[in-house]
Amino acid sequence: MSPPAIRFKDITKSFPGYTAVEAINLDVSSGRFLSVVGPSGCGKSTLLNMAAGLMTPSGGSVEIFGEPLNGINRKAGYMFQQDALLPWKTVLDNILLGLELRGADPKAAEQTARDWIHRVGLDGFADRYPHQLSGGMRKRVAMAQTWITDPAIVFMDEPFGALDVHTRLRMEGEILGLWAETKKTVMFVTHDLEEAIALSDEVVVLSAGPASHIVGVYQVDLERPRNLIDIKTDPRFTEIYGSIWRDLREEVLKSYERNEKV
Amino acid sequence: MLVWQLLLGAAFVAAWQAGVSAKLMDKFFFSRPSDIALRVWQMFAAGTVWGHLGTTLLEAALSFVIGVSTGVLFGFVLARNKFLAALLDPYIRVTNALPRVVLAPIFLLWFGLGIWSKVALGVTVVFFIVFFNTFQGVREVDPVIVNNARMLGANERQLIRHVLIPSALTWIFSSLHISIGFAIIAVVVGEYLGASKGIGYMISQAEGVFDTTGVFAGMTILAAVVLCVGAGVDRLERYLLRWKAHNTNTGSAEVS
Repeated sequence: MSPPAIRFKDITKSFPGYTAVEAINLDVSSGRFLSVVGPSGCGKSTLLNMAAGLMTPSGGSVEIFGEPLNGINRKAGYMFQQDALLPWKTVLDNILLGLELRGADPKAAEQTARDWIHRVGLDGFADRYPHQLSGGMRKRVAMAQTWITDPAIVFMDEPFGALDVHTRLRMEGEILGLWAETKKTVMFVTHDLEEAIALSDEVVVLSAGPASHIVGVYQVDLERPRNLIDIKTDPRFTEIYGSIWRDLREEVLKSYERNEKV
Repeated sequence: MLVWQLLLGAAFVAAWQAGVSAKLMDKFFFSRPSDIALRVWQMFAAGTVWGHLGTTLLEAALSFVIGVSTGVLFGFVLARNKFLAALLDPYIRVTNALPRVVLAPIFLLWFGLGIWSKVALGVTVVFFIVFFNTFQGVREVDPVIVNNARMLGANERQLIRHVLIPSALTWIFSSLHISIGFAIIAVVVGEYLGASKGIGYMISQAEGVFDTTGVFAGMTILAAVVLCVGAGVDRLERYLLRWKAHNTNTGSAEVS
């Protein structure tokens, strides 16, 4: 059997005076869409950053397709929660940046980037700068920017958190579409359980911080392709939601208690 | 707005002219706008001013180029190297705290009466303004953008080119506005204290014979030059920072 796309082996991450995550063991199989949920401040992003190589674990190790990760994860793309586009580059230049950095032929890179502009529905906006775009459009650029280098793994850290409900629903649909076409391994962080279930094959619940651990891993056996507009009224969805929420609820309450003490 | 601005200037000049004509102000101390304008015209017509102006501009340009390039270079290196930054921090503060004018006599002794003593003085002013702004600009770069570029495959050199330099440019530019003015002021002060050519020398000569008209004429020429050069920097900035929503100056400068 081929090694998992991402393997967390006994991962611990401590900061001075504070342990974010402790003893995390988790495998993400290749081609899966996995979401990590948990109360705020439980170390979801920390986990993602360690798998991306932006942070080094204090203990344990991360393996990517069986190879221990050292430095930046070259097989991965990352969609950030905040605006991460380069404000001094146009839409076109932002999207082709990944190819440019890899030393691709400029003509070919531009053609590929133009195809992506079309694909994410930004025709006519190639020469705009990020500040001239709406929040949803900027996310589309970020999506194309991440996907253009064809990474085997895509990390997403609450990428649609700042968007309004309708834009968010559309973007989620587009992400699922892209994922279905390319079958990349996706690790998605969110605090929204509904979003996690609607998108994923597998949902991981983390406990309240500090020293978060995995509370449970749940399989989401909803049919694909999914209709994100109606899925929330599907009885199976409600059932899965109920069983995960029982566990998550306790963690959320714990994190409330801790916050009140502080 | 421009009309109002011009009106204000015209009113000021007219009041000055009238004040002197009405003998409210002494012509010996305050000269007269019409005399100053005439003197400026004569200087250009006779061609005597070109040599002085050329010298001053050459000195200012040299100190600007040397000061900006060393300032940007040091700013980058120190912003990327925490140890070096911490090590040099007190020395940079001490050096910057020194009033530049007191260095002028030293530079005169070291570099002589020619242009290089003025260039040295100009560099000490320009360097620190640009250095502090570059340092700050590189430090303030958004870590999310840096992480994004790294995930997209940027190595250290590409990171500098695609992220750090454009990000620092805003800060560097706001320092260029200030430093270009200060470069000219510094070299003029240098000339004033000891030279054989330049606008500062011209002004000090005029002052030596109580020729206020000559002093004001020199000042007028200087002001016009600084305005023209500043407008040039503005245009360059608008082009290079065209990606910004608003051209607000976010930079700060430390000058003494």
